[in-house]
Amino acid sequence: MAFKSESVTRRSLLKKTATASALITAPHFVPASALGLAGATPPSDRVTLGGLGIGSRGTRVLQSFLAQSDVQFLAICDVRNDRRETIKSMADQKYGNRDCTMYSEQEELWARKDIDALLIATGDRWHALLSILSARAGKDVYCEKPCSMTVAESRALAATFHQLGRVYQAGTQRRNGTNFVRAYELARSGKLGKLQTLHAEAGPGERWAPLTSHAWLPAEPEPPKQVTDWDRWLGPAPWRPYNSNYIQGRWRGYFDFHGGGILEWGSHTADLCQWVAGMDETAPVEYEPRGMGADSPYSIHCRYANGLRLVLRDKGFLGLGSCHIRYEGDNGWVETADGGKIEVSENLRNENLLVTPEDAREATTNHVRDFVACVKNRRQPRSNALAAGQTHILCHAAYIAFQLGRKLAFDPATDTFVGDAEANRMRSRAMREPWRL
Amino acid sequence: MPQTQQPAPPQPMVDNKYGAAGEIMALSQPRLIAILQDKSASVYARAKACQRLAVVGDKSAVPALAALLADTQLSHYARFGLEPISDPSAGDALRAALANLKGNLLIGVINSIAQRKDAKSVDALARLRHDADAGIARAADAALARIRPGM
Repeated sequence: MAFKSESVTRRSLLKKTATASALITAPHFVPASALGLAGATPPSDRVTLGGLGIGSRGTRVLQSFLAQSDVQFLAICDVRNDRRETIKSMADQKYGNRDCTMYSEQEELWARKDIDALLIATGDRWHALLSILSARAGKDVYCEKPCSMTVAESRALAATFHQLGRVYQAGTQRRNGTNFVRAYELARSGKLGKLQTLHAEAGPGERWAPLTSHAWLPAEPEPPKQVTDWDRWLGPAPWRPYNSNYIQGRWRGYFDFHGGGILEWGSHTADLCQWVAGMDETAPVEYEPRGMGADSPYSIHCRYANGLRLVLRDKGFLGLGSCHIRYEGDNGWVETADGGKIEVSENLRNENLLVTPEDAREATTNHVRDFVACVKNRRQPRSNALAAGQTHILCHAAYIAFQLGRKLAFDPATDTFVGDAEANRMRSRAMREPWRL
Repeated sequence: MPQTQQPAPPQPMVDNKYGAAGEIMALSQPRLIAILQDKSASVYARAKACQRLAVVGDKSAVPALAALLADTQLSHYARFGLEPISDPSAGDALRAALANLKGNLLIGVINSIAQRKDAKSVDALARLRHDADAGIARAADAALARIRPGM
């Protein structure tokens, strides 16, 4: 199947070669799976995948990819030797071979012309830059969230994939989660009436504070480069001395690496609100932080140009699980979260909104399928770069408002804050040399 | 089965002279500039001062930040502070550094000039496109593409 635009692709060549080999060299044995017989997907129909920085969340996403018969995982790149070995072992065990190649530098992965797409699941500091550089290297990208560190990175991400026509799926899988889709459909059907206020759960303050720390942890001896390449781990982020806590996942909560609770959960929940509001190509024009005290629930009250309100908040939902959303219209409301249950206003109780817990857990698999299908048909998936970029601009604007502790006006057409020089200076950060967008 | 508890993270660094990161970043611009000029200040204190100056610094912070552009540990922090300062003196400082730096530090400065879209750097960047160091040539090329698309 030739799903790339080139007249002669690796796939078409493989298909022709496999068929020709079977004819010319018969009775030489050609495995049925190689020809797509016995229910197997022939190589020409497979999406070939590489991985960049696969940790705990990345492993769960990779498992969904490995479960797809039309995906072949070929290589892993990681700055950590132990993680390279773990992912190789996982892939080799799945395929019953020793073929998964390990790399420590992403440039080697980009040079692999036989790899169509990359799964990026490094820390946040690398997400936008690796996605953009991967697109320029001709790869489609599935990237974990949060997808960027700044407004500027978010815009560059959207622009790059749009210009190059590469396929991008942000790891905001709830756009393909059954209960979230049902809530979306209910709201879009008009049964809630005109939408008035959307509520999105920002990271709970006790787990991911909305404000991040500028502190460094004490220096520890740096491991050998072949064990952990600390310089590459940091990538575009500012240098700081090595501490093993960072590489063990405790990089969250630091300004240089993380956007706090607003980016952590907002990248999912504000994203769902953008989607249901039909605002994938814009963002709110006003951001007002509230509850700045350490002990009080925090919230950021946003307003779109058409008057629709969006509230990012960490408390006050019905307790249906993590990543709550609640859509309120002038004729009813709907609320759901990761538990899968959907609650609605009294007047909507007759709607069929039953979702099994099993269905609710399939979000990542559905999201991966959406991406794989789009790599083949060259359409853009639900969490494409334009939508994800805009959601992240929203979240960064809210995060900046919270850091400054004041209400901000924003112009989504130019990605600039109106009349606030300090806020505008926080829209981008210099990258550590030699990295650049 | 007993749960394995992750040990608590260590306490963050505190600078002997200037205190914790939060304390440094709460200082006024003159105090932040003084940290950059203090030869005995730690890398930690100076790094945090640069990051705060990225938000509150003006032209008075430019000389102290520019003085760190050649410092291998702090060059990026200096750019972190300089890049968002809109005063033309920040652009002048970055442009002047083009002649004095090499390797990755020069690439960093070129990247910051690109981010600022500094049209006054076009001639210098055009020369750097032919630098023997391929990384520098590529950075200059990318900067020109950003400042003058289609040049």
